[in-house]
Amino acid sequence: MIPLPLQIILTAITASILAGITCSLIGVFVVHMKLSSIGFCMSHAAFAGAALGLLLAVDPLLSALLFSTLVAFILGPISEKARLSPGVIIGIMFSLTIGLGFIFLNFAPGVAATQQALSILWGSIFSVTFDDLILLGLLTFFIVFLLTLFFKEFQALMFSRKLAEASGINTSVFYFLILFLAGVTVAFSLKLVGGLLVFALIVNPASSALQFIYDLKKVLVASPIIGAITCLLGFLLSLLLDFPVGSSIIIVSSFIFGLSVVLSPKRRRG
Amino acid sequence: MGEVIVKLSEVDTIYEGEHLPAIKGINLEIRQGEMVSIVGPNGSGKTTLLETVNGLLKVSRGEVRVFNVDMSRDPMRARKNIGYVPQDFISDHSVPFLAQDVVLMGRYGKLGLLQNPRKVDFEIAKEAMRLVGVEEFAHRPIGKLSGGEQQKVMIARTIAQEPKLLLLDEPFSNLDIDSRKEISEKICRLHEENNWTTIVVTHDLFSIPKRCNRVLVMDRGKIVAEEDPESVMCSVKSLTGFYRGLRQ
Repeated sequence: MIPLPLQIILTAITASILAGITCSLIGVFVVHMKLSSIGFCMSHAAFAGAALGLLLAVDPLLSALLFSTLVAFILGPISEKARLSPGVIIGIMFSLTIGLGFIFLNFAPGVAATQQALSILWGSIFSVTFDDLILLGLLTFFIVFLLTLFFKEFQALMFSRKLAEASGINTSVFYFLILFLAGVTVAFSLKLVGGLLVFALIVNPASSALQFIYDLKKVLVASPIIGAITCLLGFLLSLLLDFPVGSSIIIVSSFIFGLSVVLSPKRRRG
Repeated sequence: MGEVIVKLSEVDTIYEGEHLPAIKGINLEIRQGEMVSIVGPNGSGKTTLLETVNGLLKVSRGEVRVFNVDMSRDPMRARKNIGYVPQDFISDHSVPFLAQDVVLMGRYGKLGLLQNPRKVDFEIAKEAMRLVGVEEFAHRPIGKLSGGEQQKVMIARTIAQEPKLLLLDEPFSNLDIDSRKEISEKICRLHEENNWTTIVVTHDLFSIPKRCNRVLVMDRGKIVAEEDPESVMCSVKSLTGFYRGLRQ
């Protein structure tokens, strides 16, 4: 293993913990509302955005972030207007963004452009800068703040959108907000674990917490704790065994999920 | 009887992708303090009518006014005062909600944005649970309760909302005979004490509350008859035959 400066390691560890907290917090909603394919969709939106950035000669990471945020913003209203389930719209957007990405790349100058755009899908935790860390920290704070502020609306929406609507809660706004936050979380975490692996960070810790707990408030506390521990253990595993960080995090989170399923009291009879 | 609480004028509701309306040409007025039962065979449009009243389904023709609010324009304003118990609402066994959370959610619409439940809201929810006899399930996960227990929790949730208009869709379908009688009597008592306006949808003629003022019979999306409850109960046998006759 190549020795790395302590500052880079500390930045990377902090970033992975923050991403673990953010992804697994929003993951509670994504898992419960069966929106997990949003991870694929947003990562490919970021890929298309990066390709567009290369074509227009702007920072590909910035354009990836902007493009995926835009897709996150329009997902909810499109699914509502088209009267289709978000799963269908997410699937359509997923294929559309891949198509757009390759069209943009086709016109982008140089072979290196393809490699650069594809790197968005894989991520690199050691390239995380202090500015990225601040951005991730702000996102974590923003999500925690919104969840605290509108907890009762999110709780009612998660229990039953129809009943929440019937009791006078404007569910569309909060539904769009969840889709948007999920999309933005994926976009911001791309640089860390990559678009393909961020999916597991959203799904696994939340699914693990849901194996044990019946109280939404406790799930929203436990899931980010599991997410943070997962990222920390994954990071240490990668340093010890010289594995890629993203892959190590996924292995640890999958192991924790497997263990949760085995030990889950929800799966016991009686 | 008091002012008109629910008014439907020439209402048609068509489900998406369908050509024929699920309910058509409905004209209905329900006044404050009335308890109205809607009966009819499966697929006659009873649930569609109820969901049209609270604006969950959009009308394709006509107008629905509840508390004098046009439900196609500003349903949120009226819904805070509309309690709704849906048909056969059963939660998955693993959902992260306790029975007490579900009952407390009945208060959320009234609280408004940025307002958290206060002590009084918890007390109202607790009292609603006590009234329906589900206080012992308060800390149990909703998905772990039986169908009948879940139905009682949903009724407690609606009582906790302190509605002015109560819409009950097959509210006793999962309850045993004793619970059905007990809950029906409690709802009738609350209805009278609070001067609620109540609409009960049922396909089971024995579930029509005794206190009910009118019984509307629906078939093929239309209100085909209006009866008084006593005559319905006296002629249950012939009304069952009437259902069959409508379908033939």
